[in-house]
Amino acid sequence: MKKELITLNINGDDHEIAVYPWRTLNEVLRDQLHLTGTKLGCGTGDCGACTVLLDGQSVSSCLTLAVEAQGQKITTIEGLALEAAANKDLEKCELDPIQESFIAKGAIQCGFCTPGMIMSTKFLLDHTPKPTEAEIRAGLSGNLCRCTGYNKIVDAIADAAEKISPTK
Amino acid sequence: MSTDHNFSVVGKSLPRSDGRIKAVGAAQYADDIFLPGMLFGKLLRSPVAHARIKSIDTSAAEALPGVKCVITGQDIPKVKYGNWRLVPESQDEYALAIDKVRFIGDEVAAVAALDKDSAEEAIRLIKVEYEELPGAYSVEESLADNAPVIHDEYHQDIPNISLDRKIEYGDLDKAFAEADLVLDDVFTVHATSHAYMEPCSCVAEYDHDGRLTIWTSTQAPYFVQCLLASTLEMRENDIRVIKPFVGGGFGGKMEMRPWEFCAAFIARKLGRPVKFTLTREEELATGRRRHPMRIHSKVGFSKEGMLLAKEFNVHLDGGAYNSMGPTACFLCGNFGAMLYNYPNYRYYGAHVYTNKPPAGAMRGFGAPQALFVAETQMNVAAEKLGIDPVDIRLMNAMETGDEIPGVATISSCGFKESLIKVAEMTNWREKRKNLKPGQGLGLGCYSFISGGVFNWFNTRYNFTSAEVRAFDDGTVHLMTMASDIGQGCDTVLRQILAEELGLKVSDIRLTAADTAVTPQADLGTWGSRVTLMAGNAVRKAAQEIKEELFRMVSLKFDLNVIHDLRCGDGKIYPANRPDRAVPFGEAVRMAQRAKRGEPVIGYGSYTPRNKGLVTPAFSFGAQVAECEVDKETGAVEVKFMTTAHDCGTPINPMSVEGQLEGSVHMGLGYALSEQFIMKEGKTLTTTFLDYKIPCAEDMPPGISVHVDTYEPDGPFGAKEAGEGLVSPTAPAIADAVYAATGYRCMDLPLTPQKVLAGMNKI
Amino acid sequence: MSLPQFTFLAPTSLSEACALLEKHQGTIKIKAGGTDMIVRLSHRAVKPDYLMSIKKIPGLDTISYAPDTGLTIGALALLRAVETSPLILENAPMLARAAHATATVQIRNMGTVLGNVCNASPSADNIPTLVAMHAAIVASNGTTEREIPIDEFFLGPGRTSLQANEIAIAIKVPPLAPKSGVSYQKISPRSKVDIAAVNIGALLTLDENEQCQAVRISMGAVGPTPLRAKQAETYLTDRKISDETLAAAGRLAAEDASPISDVRASREYRKLMVEVLTTRALKEAYGFAKN
Ligand SMILES: Cc1cc2nc3c(=O)[nH]c(=O)nc-3n(C[C@H](O)[C@H](O)[C@H](O)COP(=O)(O)OP(=O)(O)OC[C@H]3O[C@@H](n4cnc5c(N)ncnc54)[C@H](O)[C@@H]3O)c2cc1C
Ligand code: FES
Ligand code: FES
Repeated sequence: MKKELITLNINGDDHEIAVYPWRTLNEVLRDQLHLTGTKLGCGTGDCGACTVLLDGQSVSSCLTLAVEAQGQKITTIEGLALEAAANKDLEKCELDPIQESFIAKGAIQCGFCTPGMIMSTKFLLDHTPKPTEAEIRAGLSGNLCRCTGYNKIVDAIADAAEKISPTK
Repeated sequence: MSTDHNFSVVGKSLPRSDGRIKAVGAAQYADDIFLPGMLFGKLLRSPVAHARIKSIDTSAAEALPGVKCVITGQDIPKVKYGNWRLVPESQDEYALAIDKVRFIGDEVAAVAALDKDSAEEAIRLIKVEYEELPGAYSVEESLADNAPVIHDEYHQDIPNISLDRKIEYGDLDKAFAEADLVLDDVFTVHATSHAYMEPCSCVAEYDHDGRLTIWTSTQAPYFVQCLLASTLEMRENDIRVIKPFVGGGFGGKMEMRPWEFCAAFIARKLGRPVKFTLTREEELATGRRRHPMRIHSKVGFSKEGMLLAKEFNVHLDGGAYNSMGPTACFLCGNFGAMLYNYPNYRYYGAHVYTNKPPAGAMRGFGAPQALFVAETQMNVAAEKLGIDPVDIRLMNAMETGDEIPGVATISSCGFKESLIKVAEMTNWREKRKNLKPGQGLGLGCYSFISGGVFNWFNTRYNFTSAEVRAFDDGTVHLMTMASDIGQGCDTVLRQILAEELGLKVSDIRLTAADTAVTPQADLGTWGSRVTLMAGNAVRKAAQEIKEELFRMVSLKFDLNVIHDLRCGDGKIYPANRPDRAVPFGEAVRMAQRAKRGEPVIGYGSYTPRNKGLVTPAFSFGAQVAECEVDKETGAVEVKFMTTAHDCGTPINPMSVEGQLEGSVHMGLGYALSEQFIMKEGKTLTTTFLDYKIPCAEDMPPGISVHVDTYEPDGPFGAKEAGEGLVSPTAPAIADAVYAATGYRCMDLPLTPQKVLAGMNKI
Repeated sequence: MSLPQFTFLAPTSLSEACALLEKHQGTIKIKAGGTDMIVRLSHRAVKPDYLMSIKKIPGLDTISYAPDTGLTIGALALLRAVETSPLILENAPMLARAAHATATVQIRNMGTVLGNVCNASPSADNIPTLVAMHAAIVASNGTTEREIPIDEFFLGPGRTSLQANEIAIAIKVPPLAPKSGVSYQKISPRSKVDIAAVNIGALLTLDENEQCQAVRISMGAVGPTPLRAKQAETYLTDRKISDETLAAAGRLAAEDASPISDVRASREYRKLMVEVLTTRALKEAYGFAKN
């Protein structure tokens, strides 16, 4: 069977690659482009470690066909800090405020769920800038973490929300 | 001896030193490693639970384009392995099955190919002819007359018992005869998965000078090094194990595993790097798990509530191989006698082979099971005797200085304080009397070890060691084989070193867990041993450096010998003359000059000696669960968790809290939602859709306090915080459910179905 | 695990898509969001030669409402769109609740409501409410369209009455009669985010005397296809609503259910849950109908 030549726009860069149609976006990111910040924890959509943004929507890269990601803007964990740096309002932060809060609040232990958690948080805060605790927890429904018990992640997200859109 | 310690780095909630690299996605885990020319491996696993292998035909797989190597049990050295090297006959596993398969998932063959697709396809093309044997899928079936014998060549007097342990002290018969209340119950507790988020993975590479390097997701690089050496018939020093970032372990990554062997074997054979990464399905269907147990426990009390005797009979359903079962069998007997003073105690534990995926070490290592039983019986006794559950515990609680006959002396203990504290924080006595319908409050307690004193692995090295190199720019380099698998020891060990040397954490560079460069040895991350043991080794190494630098400062100021010297703020100074301070780097320079160029290096090690049979130090704590039960559906919602615990000095309180919250998560899953559903040895719950670890919305909020104690054997008074806390949650929740419904769970997990059955609704 | 090999097709018109279905009958599978299909492929539960994505077909992602015909939800309308659509929140909030109760954020950003329906899983979250609300599936073979009442749509787990050359292009939900209320109840006892062990959709319409004029109850995960609780419906029709009659309806619904034991729940538990959830659903629907 033949590979298809496709162009994927990842974190602002165009990558021209040849892929089999049955390759998932996760396989292409990790195995082909070695953008290994995006993890693979299950391959069946259950854990969220593979979460990336497609045109701003959080999706499981393990269930996305690479050929179908063509023409969309793909953002991975590696791209998040770049985006933050490009945003003038966030000049003070070297990283995305979400990343900063995760570090400061102890939301990271083994770190394997972290990239996916952060991408889900990005989606959540883009749509719900001031989430309640319940909304934060619901926003993480697709991300499993075995280390932290989530509570510090919830704190970190609340902290990031406050940094991004301060109260009053 | 506690609060007046004036630490500058220890006791601070510093963010993890590896937080940033993880937050930007740059941390490399084993599966993130890609080496030039690397092949992809895949294992063929047995589809049957118990069978003799009659033949294996690999020709079609070998003929598949892209396939570079196919190996089976016939190709590898006939060497068994296992972590109990002290008892060689207990080593019962081949990396690839040679004669028999003993569980569904037993590794039978391995393939390496140019890409994953070909490796997977090749696996499908291997033909194995099995002669199926009857299987035994539970302790009862394995111990039945004419049960199939799972290991013909190794067992105790009873065919499927691989190992047993007895403990006995006091006079049980007399004590039971005198008891006013005797509880005699049989409990069953179930298997659960570590469910670490990172599936196991490794990459092996063989150089042209006879050295094999393996990057592997492990908790114990040293174990992997030693066991790879024996199974590959190589020398230990020819094998280099490097632990990259590891995505959690919880006990599931502390043995050498077949894929590590296969990657190494094939890399050596072909001279090309090979990677193996498991799928989640493999992890859940075939991976190690927490021991299911059948526990028969008989306890006697006086009518005043004093514990008189306990007889604790435990059958561990070990699965097809020993794995870490013998250790769990050993420890379970100790946990059965912990927390309270049992004047008369008898333990019999038996590790039973069954045709199921082997159970191994898992967070708590025998404690969650033993304490679910002990704490439930404590709650039952309190009710029967009309004593508050807190009070009956206070009456029997261990204290500093107490002894478990022949086993251990408790060198620090904040158990009573924890009980009092948790009762205060929850307004326990009042609240228990004023529960709304469906509401329940329950109590569970724990104690745990801070590392083991036993040496079944039979290492010839100290249990842990550290090397510290000091530089004249005021920085130091710490080298340790201790393995950070997410629990945060890289940060904590740097804090300990910074405290000892009066430096900042950022002044410390760390190289860890690389068997070729970090000092031999460290037994790994398990049994909550790292903070105490590696922490002590790091301190000792630092003290050597200090001693050397103190000499320089003493010389420089011509100090009277009675002067006490200190390290602090990056300087070294006489305690009562802080003005006479020498910057740390300058002191190093002086020392180096004095030694004509020799570097300043400190070495420290730690091996527990004269610490009884179990551990140098025990942690303690108490937890209250507040639950709401929907009495129509049986659904249990945990609303709040309150914990008071004693981990000695928390080196990093934020990290300790993280361990606590993670433990609550795991305890919650253990109590309510996680379960392997099996049918004749086949695991049916093989995705996270069916194997339900709690998600963010399931996790209750909570508060915790730390009870101040100082552990004399721990670094700066610290002891364990990472495992013990997984134990109290299930009994606390079960007790709360009892308060809400009248159903007393003695058979985990506590499913809605069981709640309704317990309320006689189905 | 890598996906099995297939030829990928991404037609840009309905007629092209249906022609491909016709041509590759038996060896082709449709993919919308793929959240079911890709998982099934990776488990090798299906091994089609051709996988046809319908995502490039224009116009299928709309959600619209007209007072006389009601709601139309296009085949590519995402679960997330249905969950958050103002049109749906206003006109059929229970559909939004059901969409919200489906899977996780990421899956709802990928998966479609119609995919959930066409996947025809007995535990599907969106089906019971749609059944209760008299929905109809609009099927097209590229030239003609037909409407399939949802009661006739499901043939078994994963099997629907779509012809081999048909694509479901939309689902229509008629407007509610006056004094009607709808409820969706789900129990997934082990976690807040979980596949349903039992789920119930109910639509209750009251007459001017506040008696039950009409009622539809759909039960999920208790049979090979969504089941109607016929005995309960008959019992309740023309009856006064009270705690007793609602409880009795729940008991009758449990009799109608024919659940199996599986990894998610036992048969006995499921039956009891049908009773509890049916009563709860009717109670809630009644509350809405009254106001
Ligand atoms: C992690 C995870 C969790 C999930 N949780 C839930 C849950 O809680 N509740 C629940 O109900 N479901 C759940 N699902 C299942 C799935 O997400 C839903 O069923 C989803 O709505 C399917 O939509 P889709 O567009 O992704 O369908 P696809 O996977 O694209 O298709 C599903 C099926 O329908 C067919 N199909 C799709 N569209 C059409 C069409 N227009 N015409 C004809 N046939 C069509 C396909 O051929 C396929 O057989 C879960 C899935 C995952 C991966
Ligand atoms: S890897 Fe994609 S959801 Fe787990
Ligand atoms: S930090 Fe380890 S899985 Fe979340």
